Amino acid sequence: MAFRHIEVKPLASACGAELSGADLARPLDDDTVAEIRRAFLDHLVIVFRGQALTPERHVALARRFGTPERHPMVRAVEDHPEIIAVTKLEHETANFGGIWHYDLTFQEKPTIGSLLYALEVPPHGGDTLFANQYLAYETLSDGFKAVLEGLDTVHTNRAWAPREAYGGQRSIRLYQDDWRALEAVHPAVTTHHETGRKTLFVNPNSSMRFAGWTEEESHPLLDHLARHATRPEFTCRVRWHPGTLVFWDNRCAMHYAINDYHGRRRILHRVSIGGERLPSRTVSPVPKGVAA
Amino acid sequence: MINYDITPIAGACGAEIHGMDLSRDLDEEAVDAIRAALLDHLVVFFPDQTLTPDQQIAFGQRFGELDIDRFVVPMEGHPEMMVLIKEPDETVNFARIWHSDVTFQERPAMGSILYAVEVPPYGGDTMWANEYLAYDALSAGMKKLLGGLRAVHSARGGYGKAVLNKRYDQTKRSMKIYRDRDHIAEQEVTHPVVRTHPETGRKALYVNGAYTERFEGMTAEESKPILQYLYQHSIRPEFTCRFRWTQGAVAFWDNRAAMHYPINDYHGSRREMRRITICGDQPA
Repeated sequence: MAFRHIEVKPLASACGAELSGADLARPLDDDTVAEIRRAFLDHLVIVFRGQALTPERHVALARRFGTPERHPMVRAVEDHPEIIAVTKLEHETANFGGIWHYDLTFQEKPTIGSLLYALEVPPHGGDTLFANQYLAYETLSDGFKAVLEGLDTVHTNRAWAPREAYGGQRSIRLYQDDWRALEAVHPAVTTHHETGRKTLFVNPNSSMRFAGWTEEESHPLLDHLARHATRPEFTCRVRWHPGTLVFWDNRCAMHYAINDYHGRRRILHRVSIGGERLPSRTVSPVPKGVAA
Repeated sequence: MINYDITPIAGACGAEIHGMDLSRDLDEEAVDAIRAALLDHLVVFFPDQTLTPDQQIAFGQRFGELDIDRFVVPMEGHPEMMVLIKEPDETVNFARIWHSDVTFQERPAMGSILYAVEVPPYGGDTMWANEYLAYDALSAGMKKLLGGLRAVHSARGGYGKAVLNKRYDQTKRSMKIYRDRDHIAEQEVTHPVVRTHPETGRKALYVNGAYTERFEGMTAEESKPILQYLYQHSIRPEFTCRFRWTQGAVAFWDNRAAMHYPINDYHGSRREMRRITICGDQPA
């Protein structure tokens, strides 16, 4: 079906497309929203260039696609509880999201998607990679697919545990005082709510083990999946400019923030859309006495 | 006096050079500028060129003697020119693994110059990785260990009889490989695992998953844990750039300090590139 309100140009074969013809600073009509959603479902990652968004418009835009969620770990920007600032300043070396991951899968309802908007970016460096996890699933052997479809993985927020790296010097401000361990169990292969396609849903940043398995037992498979899931053939690479907005589908795409711009400032605003519970196969937690 | 500008495309490596016409006879100043940019950025891109094979060869000869590939049947009448083609009905692409070119030779390539004749509308990008950064990011202990090691390289994994029989016999492929060179594919050479770049003096990690077989003096099995780690480490996104081709674009990379990977995500589309390779020295 052709697009009438927007133009869609793929960035790579696996995922990613640049959309033009929509001015996101103005309220969008329903037809345009429907076309954007279709491009989003087709390409997993959609990129708008040259936008001029206020925080209010950013949140309002996200509302056209779902309900913004509050980040459980990162302090929101002032007056906008739905927005977090993804910031790395000139003197900082650690970045935010510098590992392949799905966002916030330790929640019972993982994030559906995020709208990330660039306020200030380096002239080069600071790109973001995305990886299509439908393809990651589809390229597995039938035998391995069958194995994974019988497994759930345990997702934790361990990567967010208070430690030196997240000290007060960092621009990303966490809710540290009331940090507590969270876990959620999700199927290793999920079915996308809207497309009905199966996708690999294993998160290198938070899937610590298969439900019912020890971490040690899980490592060989998890490590293999992490490598397979991010093969270059499944990826695209998005370069940011001020005014770029990227909206990705966190149900079927992982992402990676490349930390190659020390000495430069990079500031983006993120609004994430809250999710739905994924049907997990393993209902009971790990039995007592089994190392977990 | 030429007017050109150099624009980096990523933090780690890669820069576009605008304002040069490579089909012309470049003056010394332009050649020096390209060489300096190559040393700085490891891979430089010249969009929108129009080159005949002779012009591409003449351009390459400004940077050194050209190499003749031992395994790939060249363009007719141009032994220095390799034609990389993937037809719409083919699924396997050429050199589909992170690698540095021809490290199975005693004197691997100094660099390669790739020219896009026909590319898909999207897909078929190439990635490069900066192996100075890969080396720099290792721990002091690992640097010390690797600094004392040499690795054995051969073309077996790419052009050995077993591989060719398996990969090339079943389907008709557009890339023609000589079938009588198994004795060359079986030849082993050793190179330092960390090489010092002859021009910049910087240290670069110099192993790759395509041609490196093992550490000298060790078994393949003993070598595997560290080599596997290094293959993963050497291509961390922080060390890379990714170039999207358009027809007429030229990429020129420093094979002594950069690895590359052609992304095979364009089944159903045709892609044709022409490559020449500049002879290098013995890694030290």
